[in-house]
Amino acid sequence: MAGKIKQMIDNIISQRAKDNAMLAGVIKTKLMLKGIDPGKFTPQSPDDAAIIGKLEVLMKEL
Amino acid sequence: MNIKTAFSVKPDVQNAVADIKAQLKGFDPTLVVFFASSIFAPDEIAERMEASFPSAETFGCSTAGEIVTGKMLTKSITAMAFNKQAIKDCKVEVIDNLNKESYRAFNAFQRHFGHTMKEMDPGKYVGIILIDGLCCKEELIMDKMGDLTNVSFIGGSAGDDLKFENTFVYANGKSFSHAAVMAILEPATEFSFIKTQSFCELPKKLNVTKANEYTREVLEFNGKPAAVAYAEALGVSMEEAKNRFMHNPVGLVFEGDPFVRSPQQFKGDGMVFYCSVKEGMELSLLESTDIIASTKQAVEDKKTEMGGISGIVNFNCILRTLELGQKGLCEEYGKLFADVPTVGFSTYGEAYIGHINQTATMLVFK
Repeated sequence: MAGKIKQMIDNIISQRAKDNAMLAGVIKTKLMLKGIDPGKFTPQSPDDAAIIGKLEVLMKEL
Repeated sequence: MNIKTAFSVKPDVQNAVADIKAQLKGFDPTLVVFFASSIFAPDEIAERMEASFPSAETFGCSTAGEIVTGKMLTKSITAMAFNKQAIKDCKVEVIDNLNKESYRAFNAFQRHFGHTMKEMDPGKYVGIILIDGLCCKEELIMDKMGDLTNVSFIGGSAGDDLKFENTFVYANGKSFSHAAVMAILEPATEFSFIKTQSFCELPKKLNVTKANEYTREVLEFNGKPAAVAYAEALGVSMEEAKNRFMHNPVGLVFEGDPFVRSPQQFKGDGMVFYCSVKEGMELSLLESTDIIASTKQAVEDKKTEMGGISGIVNFNCILRTLELGQKGLCEEYGKLFADVPTVGFSTYGEAYIGHINQTATMLVFK
């Protein structure tokens, strides 16, 4: 399977930033500092269970 | 003027605090932020600062050097006082056990401001965090807070004048070790941030292939022992590479903006850093540039962007201060802030979005 990470990242950014571009940048930076580079994931990226696990924890905090 | 600064180099706490109080006579602060050399007894300074400003919230920390309008100091106390026209509201909380979560403090903020931290408007509120500089928990705290709120936290890790024995944070008239002070401010004016690190990005990349983030240790870059890969990237021997840590740290670069990770030491073939580095991160080799020129530019740009600045709280990395000292530039750095009320200190780590090194993070008020 592929593309789940990109989808989760996009969801997190849209839910947290709510169309605020400055906030979207901050949230992307927070993801980078967690070791998840949003720019590296595309709809074709394989579903890495470790990264998906990290993102699931983050989504629970939303 | 709604933001005022004061400082004292008197060597005993009682006289130093009295000196600061005298300089702020006639001013009615709602908040006083202070930074004090480790020569001052922690309990006494916290208690005396609170007693001197009974109508204000007071918080601060111990330092590795202090900053005040136009000056870099040592063995001093520096303070910034805000009146109601500068800060409409503020709430100070202590996390006195860093092994526990920050939820308790966030619940207190929620009770005080009437909004959950998730709901709080990051354009209306700002957070300051001061944290024990020897606890190695900064990443965990910043990461957790970043998950729970969109409010930006900025700050630094307390110092102890390079003794690396004990650092302290101060709040509510008490001192705390292995703790963090968090404050949420509701400024009455516009506010913004400066993050400046005086480095350029070199083309060499170091991919973290093996690391222990909890000990801030990188074991491998690019599949090679970390120390070997770092020296190779610099094109020097491992012996010479040890001398290049301050000049050539590494950075996690996001849209051209580096979040600096500074090497502390080689440990065997591995490398220990001053903040954690995670497996999978792609780091860029950095090279130091002119701290004075880049900081001056950053402050000037912010003045232009905001149409004026009424106050700056500057969290300046001790490694920057050491470099400035080696080059005889401390006085010149202080003068960059001569025309704006400024307070700050030399930190054991800087906070803005995450935990970073070799950076100055500044909270700026219009």
